[in-house]
Amino acid sequence: MTGARAPTNGIHRPASMTGRALLSPNEVLARALPPMSAEPSTPTPVETRLRDLRPTSSPVELVARVVTSDRREVTRRSDGSRRPVLSGLLSDGTATVRFTWWDPPREGIERGIVLRAVGAEVREFRGRAEVTFGWKTRVGPASPAELPPVDAAEVPFRTVRDLRPGDEGFRIELRVARITPKSVTVGTERRVVHEGLVADRTGSIALSSWSDFGLRAGEAVRIAGGYVRAFRGRPQIVLDESSIVVRIEGADLPEPAQLLASPPRSIAEVEDEGGGEAVAVEGLVVGLLPPSGIVFRCPTCQRTVRSGICRVHGQVEGRADLRARIVLDDGTGALTINANRADTERLWGVTLEEAEARLRSQPDPTLIEEQMLESLLGRRLRVRGAGTRDDFGVTLTPESIERVDIDLDAAAEELTLRLGGSR
Amino acid sequence: MSLREPAWRVTARELESSFEEEKGEGERPATYLLSPFGARMNRVLLAGSLSPAESIGRDETQAFWRARLSDPTGAVAVTAGSFQPRAMAQLRAASAPRPAVVVGKAHLFRGRDGVGYVSVRAEAVRSVAESEERACVADIVRQTLDRLDLLERVEKEPGITEAVVREQGLPPSWLRAAQESLRRYPNVDRRAFRQELGSAVRRVAGESGPSRGTLPTPATVTVTRAPPPRPTPPPPSAAERAEESLFLDQLDEIADVSTDGYADLKEVLARASAQGLVADRAEAVLNRLEEEGVIEEPIVGKLRRA
Repeated sequence: MTGARAPTNGIHRPASMTGRALLSPNEVLARALPPMSAEPSTPTPVETRLRDLRPTSSPVELVARVVTSDRREVTRRSDGSRRPVLSGLLSDGTATVRFTWWDPPREGIERGIVLRAVGAEVREFRGRAEVTFGWKTRVGPASPAELPPVDAAEVPFRTVRDLRPGDEGFRIELRVARITPKSVTVGTERRVVHEGLVADRTGSIALSSWSDFGLRAGEAVRIAGGYVRAFRGRPQIVLDESSIVVRIEGADLPEPAQLLASPPRSIAEVEDEGGGEAVAVEGLVVGLLPPSGIVFRCPTCQRTVRSGICRVHGQVEGRADLRARIVLDDGTGALTINANRADTERLWGVTLEEAEARLRSQPDPTLIEEQMLESLLGRRLRVRGAGTRDDFGVTLTPESIERVDIDLDAAAEELTLRLGGSR
Repeated sequence: MSLREPAWRVTARELESSFEEEKGEGERPATYLLSPFGARMNRVLLAGSLSPAESIGRDETQAFWRARLSDPTGAVAVTAGSFQPRAMAQLRAASAPRPAVVVGKAHLFRGRDGVGYVSVRAEAVRSVAESEERACVADIVRQTLDRLDLLERVEKEPGITEAVVREQGLPPSWLRAAQESLRRYPNVDRRAFRQELGSAVRRVAGESGPSRGTLPTPATVTVTRAPPPRPTPPPPSAAERAEESLFLDQLDEIADVSTDGYADLKEVLARASAQGLVADRAEAVLNRLEEEGVIEEPIVGKLRRA
């Protein structure tokens, strides 16, 4: 498999698309499903692009790749019998839509396979088009080549600032500020995802690539065939096997150093923009929000445990952890910084063990929080991290928190100059 | 969306000089104290020397403590009650003046004489090292100067847009605050205020010691309040003037012959009516004359010239 990837004209196609020793998902599907017809596909495409789907009374024909699928059973109300249904997302490079497939084949429908559906119903749900495969719909395997050709020159160029979750079918030019592979468990499968930060002049956004495009920090790339989703409240660009990555010069893109060491901005500005992937702010600590201090976490999912109960795992033995939800204010606005144990210990100068010892000698958790605030209030901090906004303002997940000591003599000199200059 | 109110960096003098308020919008509107120097504050951050607190609570169940925070420009009262237990504990903790940082809500109390007193309801109080206090004062002076510069720019170019302000790295909320400050405090001596900031800068440089206790600082900042806009009534027409003189003539005639010097209201109205001034017109004339202070009604039903 390793030799399969052959960069041509700077376009990297992942290994999984080129060669495989085992049966491809389409071959599996071909066995599971009866062949649709022996005729060669007609030269003029009759299928509808997902981008152009509109709720109609007449069924449509489409070719699309399964992005996600989930199998469940629905109990019929009339006779109590169980009916299998498969639902998930379909994409053809122009858009992603939800699908519902009644009585699907027992196996063979998995992520990545390409389907052709004739006679699919289109309906609208919450303002978005959805497709339903019913008993009248004929579904069969198709080859990726049958997917509607998405001419890279045809899809519109976008900038980071105007990307929204759910967006698809766009091109974008980006600088890779950083990228690291990470091993994650998806269902029962171990997969490698390349996570990073990319940016253009208008802003920065997280990148999550499920396919190895050999991206390196500092590179400038043009991306097509990615989509945007919200992950933990923050938008990110997702790339998979069907995405296309081209190296470019990127002279007008910001340099990685610029992105990772950008000077702090006013908190009002960050509030305005609703956060961002690489936010830097500087301000004074004006308060702590609960829960700060010693918290107890579920050993399985790390969620905070209240009254010994985890929201997901029920009654658990919570593990002690130290955290601080710091309110940082720069005079223009305020935001919350969720500091983890290491940062909290460093800023406060008290370790979790010491805090626990204090809790044993003075069994009042609010005292811990109070002592923490006592040592933090009024301190000047410079924080970098990823910010999300909700109804209560911006919350920053910090990558770095530094104490800032200002040079008093220099400050006095600067202020004297400003006062004198205006007299 | 209700964002957290930012803590405006202000000097004690700026708070002392503020007496205009504004209600925010929304379901539970916040109150904002407008300063003459471009701050529209709900929450504030001050640094200076905090005096030991005294109890001003009415009884033990309603604890309330007050201390004074002095910075080189002035002093302001800092209070905390049982709803701010931590801040209250902090206020009570000290037995001698110490450098401190205070975060709290600006609170305007208007006495019976109409004079406003500003205090800060503390949310958080912390004793700090002197260098930290000086660093906070530097922050306060810098932002105050930023606001003053913006204020003066807005004065020169009233049409300045949010985009221009943003470009300078200042929040659009500051522009609105500056515009409102200029409107509410049209005559403010900003030069004197800048000079007072000079003493705060000397504090940053460490040239002056921490300010102690309550300084009887002379009020170098004099602000005159903008008269509230009042619709001026249109001048009375000639016909109205004629009605008025008729009314006054009747009043004078009756008053001349009455024993107590007053004219009986009913009698005046009856005579006026006989002269062709109908009841509701006479009522209007009466009200107008009373408002203008020409006549008065010290006893119900008895009129006289004021």
